Amino acid sequence: MSAVSTDSGPIVSEETQPEKKWRRRSLVALAILLPLTLAETSYDSAREWLRGEDLIARDVDFGQSVPFGGSDWKLADLRGGKAGRLPDHAFAVIATFTVTIGDPDLQKQWLGCKLMLTDAAGRRWLPDFISGVSLPAGVMNCSSAIFSGARKGDVVTIGDTFIVPEDTIKTIRPAVGLGSERPWYLRFQRPPK
Amino acid sequence: MRIRVLGNLVVLAATVAVSYGMQVTKPHYADLTAPIPVDGAMHDTVRARSFDVRLDKVVFARQLKTNQFGQEKLLTTSGLWAVVSTSLTATAASTTVADGTWQGPAGLRYHQTERLGYRQDMPPHGVDPGLEKRGLFVFEIPPDQISGASLLISARQFGPLDAQARISLDGVPTSADGQPADVLPEYDLDAPQAQTPQGKT
Amino acid sequence: MFRTARSKVQTWITAGAGTFAALFVAGLMGAFGALPAHAPPQLPLDAAIDAGRWRVQPVRAYVSHARVYGVLLKPGQKALVLEADMTNRTAQSDKAYFDVFKPDGIALPDPMPMIALTRDATLTPELHPGMTERMAYVWPLAGDATVPASLSFGVTAEIFKPRDNLFGMPGWFNPYRLGTITLPVADVQGTGS
Repeated sequence: MSAVSTDSGPIVSEETQPEKKWRRRSLVALAILLPLTLAETSYDSAREWLRGEDLIARDVDFGQSVPFGGSDWKLADLRGGKAGRLPDHAFAVIATFTVTIGDPDLQKQWLGCKLMLTDAAGRRWLPDFISGVSLPAGVMNCSSAIFSGARKGDVVTIGDTFIVPEDTIKTIRPAVGLGSERPWYLRFQRPPK
Repeated sequence: MRIRVLGNLVVLAATVAVSYGMQVTKPHYADLTAPIPVDGAMHDTVRARSFDVRLDKVVFARQLKTNQFGQEKLLTTSGLWAVVSTSLTATAASTTVADGTWQGPAGLRYHQTERLGYRQDMPPHGVDPGLEKRGLFVFEIPPDQISGASLLISARQFGPLDAQARISLDGVPTSADGQPADVLPEYDLDAPQAQTPQGKT
Repeated sequence: MFRTARSKVQTWITAGAGTFAALFVAGLMGAFGALPAHAPPQLPLDAAIDAGRWRVQPVRAYVSHARVYGVLLKPGQKALVLEADMTNRTAQSDKAYFDVFKPDGIALPDPMPMIALTRDATLTPELHPGMTERMAYVWPLAGDATVPASLSFGVTAEIFKPRDNLFGMPGWFNPYRLGTITLPVADVQGTGS
């Protein structure tokens, strides 16, 4: 196109001047608009990814109670040992939390609730079923707590069983992730010996 | 001026040629989003992204014996049963390993059998970091798909851009005609020798 | 360029030619479309039929009044059963065989058949490349439905595209009626296997 329009005689210089200017402006606009488009199209995916991952730890001292997902969470107990049917070189661990319900809409606040154990190297263990080991009486796991109909002000005990390798038992720390709080999660200090 | 027109034509032709070349040599979308293979051999620990896998043993059998809901079942096949024992460990976090494929020498893909129903030692395998777990993958394959085959293990069936362990099965003993050296008439999945080391305390 | 009357006429002719060409081609295509489509052929029963991703060899058809291959019938129902040897012609395990056979001229309460491996009554297992298995297609029928002594089944095939138009992925598309098979239908009173 440009070849055709510049062919046609004396008005060349007058026409090319603004054209050049606009061409330059367009180039600059491209440099701004392209990254913006990229950001806009990936925004939803990025947000969804962040909402699904426990990425940033919020450390909690032992004995401290912290508001999380509308309720107050406190580590009640962490104990490990050889019990039930376990693989070689493995320990059974039970972690329990005392939770004071604040916002009773647990189905919304606690969606995707995850109890975990983490070790010094950042490895994570999710709850496991161990035949021969059951939770102490009155302790619920996370998903049954969601449907327990707990009301504001109730104090419930949430816990689960885990299998971890022997060598990590000294450093494991319990952690809690909730759908409404991700990418943040709570990581508790171990109870003092 | 004529040179200018000619020049434009040359540029146009070059653009068309380059675009066509790019279109023709462009990799398939399927290839671009395919799982990323991590190669290994039998008895080696292959490190995929979310799990480590070691292929321990391959047993061929004409029939499989299994217990389903307290009922003994004898499963037959038009080919052979291949029972593959693996040791699985999670790398960073507890996860599941759900997908196994037997890839024949010409690239035919035999997906793990769905005929066994639910079993503890069958996929999906729940795996934890630092804890080795025995996991079975069971396939139905024709006997001519054994020599030159490889085993593909991945966390899930459609895992674009996720790692896929690709373990060469060259270590499986076969006779000269490619048939497996040893085929059991029957393999009992619940027999004690098939028990997991997990059963011990 | 467009200043003289002559070139104007030229422009009109050039632009018009494309339109006329398009109209002509569309007319031709419409004319071909109106030609009587030749009916899908009758397929032989004594040879295997290559139907897209499946090679099929129909074996027998019958009406069962009892449970067949583990497929439970509701009280008062009977079932039309078609047994066929099926071979996966593709390079990977697959279970897309639901639409391969369809009985003609029979009212089906549910057009989707139950499909079982006759070997051990596994429902809809994946079939593996090159491994022939006998499968039973089971269509539940109302108890008073009349089934002719000889019944036609439509055989549907698909075509393979190395690259589809959306993602450039290989796949099977565009199901079409490959032909018809006609089988005698026995009436089995006793309990099915």
